[in-house]
Amino acid sequence: MHVDPRLRPPRLAETTPTGLADCAAEPIRTPGAIQPHGWLLVLDPMDCGLLAFSDNQDQPRARSAIGLLDPQRLRSLVPDALPVGLGALVLDGERFDVSAHRTRQHCVVEFEYATDGPGDDAPLYRLTRSFLPRLQRAGELNELARLAAAEMKCLTGFGRCLVYRFDAAGHGEVLAEELDPGYDSYLGHHFPAADIPPQARELYLLNRVRLIADADYTPVPLAALAPELATEAVDLSQAQLRSVSPVHLAYMRNMGTLASMSVSIVIDGRLWGLISCHHHTPRRLSLPLRRACEHLGELLALSIQSNEVTSSARSSLALRQLTLELVAQLSDSDASLQQLVAHPSQLLRLTQSRGAAVVRDDQLWTTGEVPGDDQIQALANWVAGLGVTVYESSALAQHFGQAPIPHAAGVLAISISQVHRHLILWFRPEIVTTVTWAGDPRKAEPGGDGHIHPRASFASWVETVRGRSLPWSAEEVGAVNELRQALIGIVLRRAEEVAEMATELGRVNKELEAFSYTVSHDLRAPMRHIAGYVDLVVDAEGGQLSERARKYLANVKEASVFSGKLVDALLEFSRMSRSALKVRSVNVGVMVEGLVRELSRHERASQVEWQIAPDLPALQADPLLLQVAVRNLMANAVKYSRTRTPPRITIRPVRRADGDGIEVEDNGVGFQMKYVDKLFGVFQRLHAAEEFEGTGIGLANVKRIVERHGGTVYAHGEVGHGARFGFVLPRPAADPHLDSRTGDLLA
Amino acid sequence: MLKPILLVEDDKRDLELTLIALERSQLANDVVVMRDGEQALDYLRREGPHADRAEGNPAVVLLDLKLPKVNGIEVLQAVRGDAALRAIPIVMLTSSQEEADVLRSYELGVNAYVVKPVAFDQFVSAIADLGIFWAVLNEPPPGSLKVSRRGEP
Repeated sequence: MHVDPRLRPPRLAETTPTGLADCAAEPIRTPGAIQPHGWLLVLDPMDCGLLAFSDNQDQPRARSAIGLLDPQRLRSLVPDALPVGLGALVLDGERFDVSAHRTRQHCVVEFEYATDGPGDDAPLYRLTRSFLPRLQRAGELNELARLAAAEMKCLTGFGRCLVYRFDAAGHGEVLAEELDPGYDSYLGHHFPAADIPPQARELYLLNRVRLIADADYTPVPLAALAPELATEAVDLSQAQLRSVSPVHLAYMRNMGTLASMSVSIVIDGRLWGLISCHHHTPRRLSLPLRRACEHLGELLALSIQSNEVTSSARSSLALRQLTLELVAQLSDSDASLQQLVAHPSQLLRLTQSRGAAVVRDDQLWTTGEVPGDDQIQALANWVAGLGVTVYESSALAQHFGQAPIPHAAGVLAISISQVHRHLILWFRPEIVTTVTWAGDPRKAEPGGDGHIHPRASFASWVETVRGRSLPWSAEEVGAVNELRQALIGIVLRRAEEVAEMATELGRVNKELEAFSYTVSHDLRAPMRHIAGYVDLVVDAEGGQLSERARKYLANVKEASVFSGKLVDALLEFSRMSRSALKVRSVNVGVMVEGLVRELSRHERASQVEWQIAPDLPALQADPLLLQVAVRNLMANAVKYSRTRTPPRITIRPVRRADGDGIEVEDNGVGFQMKYVDKLFGVFQRLHAAEEFEGTGIGLANVKRIVERHGGTVYAHGEVGHGARFGFVLPRPAADPHLDSRTGDLLA
Repeated sequence: MLKPILLVEDDKRDLELTLIALERSQLANDVVVMRDGEQALDYLRREGPHADRAEGNPAVVLLDLKLPKVNGIEVLQAVRGDAALRAIPIVMLTSSQEEADVLRSYELGVNAYVVKPVAFDQFVSAIADLGIFWAVLNEPPPGSLKVSRRGEP
């Protein structure tokens, strides 16, 4: 960077005991002195009596100046209000621009030597007529800043006009500048916050235009008439002529600037930025012209504010649209949070992120560029532990207190539930930025003499900033918060729907029960009547009936008895899922023996050659239901093997990794394996009804019983070569082997 | 003299079949038929149209579960709540296999619960068993013995 040849050493800084560290304590509001481009009177606000005056004036002249003022006007000044222009006055042939204001204690009247300057004629009118319409047409912030810098340059004739903005940390960034040849460019440069101490920033709010006409000026002290008045106690914070800090003057000289003026840009009562003007040589601006500059600052502030509001509203609207789309998709689906990553583009666009993750307790779904699962879970844990609904950071590593996480320099997170760990996180990658400072900001350190000196160099100094992502905008944070509200709404609605469904299911179950009851009672009765009366007819009239009539009646009876059995079987089937299991250990060997005896009472089972393994397992089951299942399998085997000579049925144990059970094998008609899945369905039959009797519910019952015990059924068959049906029930959780081990441990 | 059997049945076909079954079981007891629960209670309490019947309780009540006006469960409840009637053996005779009915009946102290078999020959033998047990073997203490029953919990 080109260094101004007239850059001077910081003279004042060396002669003053005030170091930069003391800047914050410096009495800049009450310096007890003024700049010499005018003079000043301190009056008693009640009687307008002279209390003090600047040393560049004598007492008689001061008193004659008071004679020119309207005491009524002075008395009507309101304390702490902005200075009021009193117009131009001529004293001893010299013309002055006069202004006055009230402090809490005093009335201060300032006389500035009137000047003619560039663009002096009706500057306010010019602003309104041409500058304001241009501002209104400008689209974005940088354009507004550029227009303001150009207008300020034109209005004041300063060699360099900068518009800069303060960031959250108080550092200034130059957005626009307008330069004369020979002036260094600061566009895009950053000024460290330390350049402007806090109490100076306060003054920027109070006094919107500050002019330093000549950095080499000699301060004019105030002279008090009354010995009890300490001139250092006179509040000059609103005074146009107020003398400024010697450190600041040194800073100006270091910068090669002998005249400066700054106009505050105040938005919503906060110092948003400054319009800063510099000149290589001393320069003065008349009071009316400075008023116009102040007005320019206000117009710019209003435009920026309206621009911010508009663009914030526009982006909020766009984000709300995205939120709505996400929520609509979610409520169309099963509403599980997982669905969010099914639409990654919207989810990522919502926050301008590169990656996102949905965390539901221990489950995790991600999309885009994200850290590792473990890292996300650890981060989710930490965020959940903060107890906030929305968390945002653009420098995560600094806050998370862990090593930087890849893809997650910045994170934005919402917590959906207070009870569960349900979070959605968005990630932004690291953006390595370079910041060009107007001089190395780190130079603001104590020098060898223990004092802090103002910066001597304004040469560009480039800093590389790492570990940061782009910041999350207020609109983005607002949008995810809105998404969070909507998600909570959906979750609540789903919970209600589930509850409704449960109620409905309960009602349907009750109806089904009533239906079963009706079937069991009202359908069995007519079946019984048909069977009974047919028997009576055959008993009473059998001898006189034809062979054919007897055969028909036998069919009627058989059909009605079968219907009765069907009703019983159906009822049993429906009851199977309703009654509670009473599980205990069942000796299957004993059960099978009993069933063999029971089945053998019917003549067709008496031929069966039973081969029963001696080591059938003990099973954990409801004894009654297990018996129904085993009886069904054995009766089935008897039924389908009765055409064999001899029918042979084998019952053997099954021991598998998932449990124990038994298998019943016969040498009967078998079945085609392609129908194996149909075997266990209700009313599934693979044989013509007249060939093998049965209700078609037996195997469905077996399956339902086994499954209610948490087990599985299976079947193998070969047409003409028999079938194998078996089931396996899970072993009880308390494995005896495990018990003994535990016992050892306890012992 | 043998005590009568009280049969409470509203369905006329069930009534006829039951009477035939009782007849075939060759019991000597008279069978008194009531067609609903209200009549049955009047008979047992010797009230209303039965105010002047001879004293004494029946040997056994064969009680259908589903009855008009006062149903079987309510009759059972009334009998068990009446000191004069409490000892009468009551057999529920019904089509229903519903667990809830069975449980309720046993809670109320039924002596037996018989689901009517569909096949007539089985029905006849069930009735015969019942008759022989309750009518011939005199009166055992209520609830101490149970006969062939199905649908027990």
